[in-house]
Amino acid sequence: MKTLIHSGGLLLLAMTVIACIDPEDQPSRVHDFRVLGVSTEQPELMASTCERTPEALDALAAEVTYRALLVDPAGGGRPIHYTLWACADPEDRTCANEADRALLAEGTTSEGELTFPIRPGAVRVGEDRLLLERVQEEDPYQGLGGIRMPLVLRAVAGDEEVYAQKLMVFWCPVVEGMKANEQPVLPGLRVDDVAWQDSELPEFTGPGPFVVTSEDVSALEEAYVVPGLRLQAVNLKEAWEISWHATLGDFSPQETGGADFGGQQGRHRTEWEPAEGAAAQEVTFWAVVRDGRGGSSWLVRRARWSP
Amino acid sequence: MARNAIGPTAHGPQGGNRAHKDVCAFRQKCGDVVQYGLPRRRIPYAPRAMSPNLKARSALVTASLLLATPTLAQAPQAGAPPAEAASPSPPAQAQPTMTKAPELLQQVAAPYPPEALAEGLTASVRLIITIGADGSVSDVLPTEPAGHGFDEAALAAVRQFRFSPAEVDGVPAPVQVEYVYHFTLDAPPEEAPGQQQVQEAPKATLTGQLISRGSRSRVPGATVRCGDDPEAPEALSDADGRFTLLVPPGECAVRVVASGFQLYQTKEQLQANETTEVNFFLAPSAGALETVVRSERPKKEVVRRTITRQEAQRTPGTFGDPIRVIQTLPGVARAPFISGELLVRGSNPGQTATMMDGVGIPILFHLLGGPSVVNAEFVDQLDFYPGGYGSQYGRAVGGIVEVGTRKGAVDTLHGSVKVDLLDAGFFLEAPVADGISVAAAARRSYIDTLLPVFLPKSEGSTLSVVPRYWDYQVRVDFGAKRGARSEAEASPDGARSTGYIMAFGSDDQLRVVSSGPKTERDLSIDTQTLFHRLKGDWTYRKGALTSVFTPYVGYDTNSFQFGAAKQDGVSYTLGAREVLGLELSSALTVRTGLDLVYERQSFDVQFPAPENFEYVAFPGAESVGELLVEKIGLGSFDGALFVEADVKVGKFTFTPGVRGNLQGAGDTRNLALDPRLWVRFAATERTNLKGSLGLYSQPPETFRFIDLPYGNPDLVYQRAFQSSLGVDHRLTDVLNVDVTGFFNRRYNNIAAPGQIVTREGGGVVQLPYSNEGIGRALGLEVMVKKDRASASDKWSGWLSYTFSRSLDGRAGPKPDGGGGFGGGFGGDGDATYGLSPFDQTHILTLVSSYVLGSGWELGGRFRYTTGRPTTPLNHTFDLFQADRNRFNGTYGPYASARTAGFHQLDVRLDKGWQFQNWTLGAYIDVQNLYNAQNVEFVFNDYRLRQEYEVPGIPILPVVGVKGSF
Repeated sequence: MKTLIHSGGLLLLAMTVIACIDPEDQPSRVHDFRVLGVSTEQPELMASTCERTPEALDALAAEVTYRALLVDPAGGGRPIHYTLWACADPEDRTCANEADRALLAEGTTSEGELTFPIRPGAVRVGEDRLLLERVQEEDPYQGLGGIRMPLVLRAVAGDEEVYAQKLMVFWCPVVEGMKANEQPVLPGLRVDDVAWQDSELPEFTGPGPFVVTSEDVSALEEAYVVPGLRLQAVNLKEAWEISWHATLGDFSPQETGGADFGGQQGRHRTEWEPAEGAAAQEVTFWAVVRDGRGGSSWLVRRARWSP
Repeated sequence: MARNAIGPTAHGPQGGNRAHKDVCAFRQKCGDVVQYGLPRRRIPYAPRAMSPNLKARSALVTASLLLATPTLAQAPQAGAPPAEAASPSPPAQAQPTMTKAPELLQQVAAPYPPEALAEGLTASVRLIITIGADGSVSDVLPTEPAGHGFDEAALAAVRQFRFSPAEVDGVPAPVQVEYVYHFTLDAPPEEAPGQQQVQEAPKATLTGQLISRGSRSRVPGATVRCGDDPEAPEALSDADGRFTLLVPPGECAVRVVASGFQLYQTKEQLQANETTEVNFFLAPSAGALETVVRSERPKKEVVRRTITRQEAQRTPGTFGDPIRVIQTLPGVARAPFISGELLVRGSNPGQTATMMDGVGIPILFHLLGGPSVVNAEFVDQLDFYPGGYGSQYGRAVGGIVEVGTRKGAVDTLHGSVKVDLLDAGFFLEAPVADGISVAAAARRSYIDTLLPVFLPKSEGSTLSVVPRYWDYQVRVDFGAKRGARSEAEASPDGARSTGYIMAFGSDDQLRVVSSGPKTERDLSIDTQTLFHRLKGDWTYRKGALTSVFTPYVGYDTNSFQFGAAKQDGVSYTLGAREVLGLELSSALTVRTGLDLVYERQSFDVQFPAPENFEYVAFPGAESVGELLVEKIGLGSFDGALFVEADVKVGKFTFTPGVRGNLQGAGDTRNLALDPRLWVRFAATERTNLKGSLGLYSQPPETFRFIDLPYGNPDLVYQRAFQSSLGVDHRLTDVLNVDVTGFFNRRYNNIAAPGQIVTREGGGVVQLPYSNEGIGRALGLEVMVKKDRASASDKWSGWLSYTFSRSLDGRAGPKPDGGGGFGGGFGGDGDATYGLSPFDQTHILTLVSSYVLGSGWELGGRFRYTTGRPTTPLNHTFDLFQADRNRFNGTYGPYASARTAGFHQLDVRLDKGWQFQNWTLGAYIDVQNLYNAQNVEFVFNDYRLRQEYEVPGIPILPVVGVKGSF
C-alpha cells in the first residue's frame, strides 16, 4: 500500500504534467476520418443453459445488427472501404491470424452509420470449428467473463486506415440472477439546460462555453450479476460513460460519467467551446454512450454556431 | 643556547625537552568531513594535554593536537553494513568513543631553518600526523605549506615522534591528529624568576570560560596567558573550556591560543588578590568547517562511500536532503523526475535497503517526492554500499544505505532552526547529566496553509488540497562518560558498556476534496502514512570481545480512503539483533550473530468489488461493484544467523561468511543460504585491490503473502548474485581514486502481476505477484574525491562516473492482460526481457564546493546521464478499441530508442553570519541553472500517432534560512 500511495503521488504529478501539454489532436475535436463508436444489437447473447445443447448453440448463433459510427468531416463524401472479421484472440487487434478469423462483411460505404446484420455465433473457422470454441480456448479466464469474440472492422478512407475492435459477448447463466445486457440509450441532451432535440438546429452564438448535459440516466443504468473468479455471484451496477465529439472546437471534459475504483461516479456535464477565430458554421455533435459491459449507442445533434 | 631577541629558538629534547608545547584542542562537534576511501568519524573525546606544560626560554614552539579518531572504531549497525576488516571487529552500534588519547612520549626538536632565521621569519606548520596502533608515526603531511624550510624541518622532526597508542572504546587504534608546529622568535634567554619567587608575589586571578563564537561550543585544551612572554604563567582550558590563571596584578594582555581558532587577544585589568571572571568568544579559524577527523578505517566492503552531514546539507540541487545526495554517487542511476528512488547497479526501486542506525526506514520520502523523512540535522553521516557487503547484512538484493545519526553534544546546549519553502524544523542537542546526552529534531510542513492561496477558485466548484507531513528523531546516549579514558576507568573488571535509545517517526497526510455542481465528479482522497520506531543499543566490550545488542519495536499505520474504497492498515514490528565479535589473534577475527524481526500486519478493507480480482473486467467504463468488507491479518517472521571471519595472510585479508535466512509468513516457510567472500590485497600503503562475490536475499514484504487474490502465499526469497573487483588508491591524504567493476544477476524477484492460474476448488485467479522477475547488470564505477585537508583548505568535491548496462524482465511469458516487469515495458510485442527502463549507459556527476571566505561558500553539481530507453511508436494505422474508447499503439522493437541525454547544472550559494552566541546561515539553491529542457516524460497523443516529450523541472531557485547556536 505504501508503494501504491507513493506511486499514486507520482501519478498525480504525472497527471499534472500531462495537463500542461495540449496536443493538437484531441478526441473531441473531429477533423479527420474516425470510427467514433461500434455497437451490436443485441449487445450480448445469452443462452438459457451452460450445457452444450442445440438450443444453447442456436441462441448464441442468433443474428445481431452490427453498427459503426463512421465520421469523415473533411472527406467530402469520399468512399470508405470496410471489412469486418471475427476472430479468436482479443489481443489480435487486427484479426491478422487468418487461421482463426472469419470474414463477416465487406464493401464500400460513406460517412455515417454503417449497419448490417451478422451472425458471429454461427461462424466457423479452420477445420469447421465454431469460432466460439476457439475464443473460449484462447480465454485465460475460462469463460468467467463470458465468451468475448473480437469483431474487427477495417475501414479505409483515402490514406487513412482504422482498425476498430468490438467485443461481442456470449453468455450463459453461470450464476443465479444473470440476464442479458440491454443496450444503453441516452434519453436526450440539453444545452445550457435547454432540451436539444434531434430535429432542431439551435443557434449558438459567442465564444461559449456552452454547457452540454445528458438527461438523467441513473434510472437506466442496470444492476447486474456476473460470475466471480471464485465462482461466486458478483453484483455490479453500470456507470455509463459518454464521449463527446464535435466538428468544431473542444469539449471539456471530453468524457463524462463512469466510476472510479472507489465507486465515485461522474456527472454527465461538459462544456463545449468553439475554436478561436472560426467562422460561423453548422456544427455536428456526437455523444457516444457505453455501459461498460459491451453495450453502446449514440446520439447525433446539429447546431448553427456563429461568433 | 642563549639567544637574543631575534635569535633562533627552536629546540629539541636536548634543550630540556622544552621546545614543544602540546595543546590538545578540539571541539565536540568536529569530524564532519569524512573522506571517501579514507573515512573519518566524529569522536566524542575529552581533551587532555599530551605533555606537561613545558616552556622554552627563548623560543616557543607550540604544537596542537587537534583530534584523533579511531581507525577501527566504526562498528556495524543492525542490518547495516559491516565493520571494518582489520578491526577487532566491534560489531558496535554506538558511535566509537576515544577512551585514551595518544600521548607524545618522544619529541624531537626541529632545527630552525637557517635561511628563515637569518631573515627573522617565523611560521606555523600545520601537519596531519597518522599515528599507528602501536604509537609510531606512520605518515605526516603538511596541510598548509609554510615554505622557507619550515615544512621540511617540521616534517623531519615529527617523523621521529613517538606516541602512546590511542584507544578507541578501549582498543588501541590508529588515528590521525592535526598538529601545529610553531616556529617563533623570542627574547634572549634570561634566567626566569624562580618558581618560588613567582608564587610568593601578589597574585590576581583570571578565570573564565572559552566559548566558540557562533556555536557556543566549549573550547578545551587552549592556552591562556598574559602577554607573549614564554615565561609568563599560563593556563590550559579544561573539557568545559574553563581556565584559571594566576598572574601578577595589573594589566594583562590576554592571549588565547587554541588550535582551530584564531588568536584571541584582549586586555584585562586585574587587581591583586581578586578574581576576575570572563567569557572569551574565540573565532573559528575557518567558517563552518570544524575540526577534521580522520581515520584509516579499512573497508571490509569492496565499495563503501561515505557522505558527511556537511556534504549532505550543502550538495547543490539536493535541497540539503541526505538521501538524495546518495544519488550523486557511482552506481546509482538517476531516478525519474523527482521520485528519489535509489536505483543501484541495475536494481529496481525497493531493492536497496535504507536504514537509520540499523533499523529500516519504512518510507524514504514525504509526500509526492518531498524531502526524505530523515531530518538532515540529525544525520551524522551516510554510508552507502552499492553491493558486496558482509554477511551481517541482508534483506536487500540491491545496495544498502545506512544513515548514522548524531549523538548529542556533551559540552552544552546547541541547536538550530531551519526554515524553507516547504517546512520548518529544529534540532537540539545537550548534555543532561554526566555521561548522558540528548539530541532531538523535528520538522513540520506548512504547505497546507500556503496552498489554498495558489489553488484556483471558481464558482460552482470547490477544491481543497491538504498535504501535511512531520517527522521527528530523538536520541539519548549514555555510558560514555567524559574523561573515561581507559577500560580500567570504565568498570572494575575492565568491561565497558555504552548505549543509546532512539526514537524516530514520520507522518504524511494528503486530503484532496473536489466537489460542486460544475465539477465533473465529486472526488475525495484521504491518505495517511504514519510510523514510529523505538530502538535501543547496548554495546559491551571486554578484552577482545565485543557485543552489540539492538532491540527495536515499530508501529505503522496506513490509511487510505478514495470514495467508498477504504483501507486501514496497522503493523507492529518487533526486532532484535545481536552481533558478537571476537578477536582471536591479530590475524583472525570472528563475528557471528542473529538478526530477527517479527511483523504483524492487519488491514480493515472496504472496497467496491475490484475488477480482475473479484470478476473479469470488461474493457471500458468500470461498473460499481458491491461493497466488500474484509479484515485481513498476517504475521511474518524473518530471521538470519550469520557468521564471518577476517583472516589476514600477509597483505591479504580474506573475509568469508555465510548468512542463513528463514522466513515464515502465514503457513509459508522459505529458506535461503547466502555464502559470501570478500578479499582485499594491500598492494601498498596507499593502494588496495579488492574483490567480492556472494549471494543476497530479500524477503517479500509481509502484505504480499496474504491470501489470493490479493496476495500470493507461495512467494519465495528474492535473490541476487553480486560480484565486484576494484582498486582504490590514495593519491594524497585528501585525494582518493576508486575504480570498481561489477556484475550482478537478480532472480526470483517480485514481478507484478503474475500469470492467470486455475484455483483449487474452481475458478481462476491472476496472481498479483510472482517470483518471475529477473535482471542483470554490469558496469564500471569511478570515484575521485577531494576532501578539505584543513580549515583553511577551500576546495572539496568529487567526480563520479558509472558505465553500466542493466537488463530487466521476467522469466516467464508476458502475463495475460498485460503487466510489466521491473519498471514496466512498452511496446506491443511479447518481449519479457530487455533493457531496464532505468538503464543509463553513462552517468557522470561532478560535485564541488569552494569556500569563498567571509562566510560565503559556493557549490555546484553538474550531471550528465544517457537518456532512458524507450520503445518508439511506429504508427501506420489506428487501432481503436471501441468498447474502451481508447487506442492501442503500434511500436518498433522494444527499447530500441532513448530519450535525449540528461544534463543539468545546480548551484548553491551559502552565506553564514557568526554572532557571539549563534550563527545565521542562508542559502539559495538553484536547480537547473541554465534551464536545460531535459526529457522527463514521453507522452503520446490519444491515437498514439505521435510522441510528446515533456521536460522536467525548469530553473528553480529555492531559498532557505538556518540559525544555529
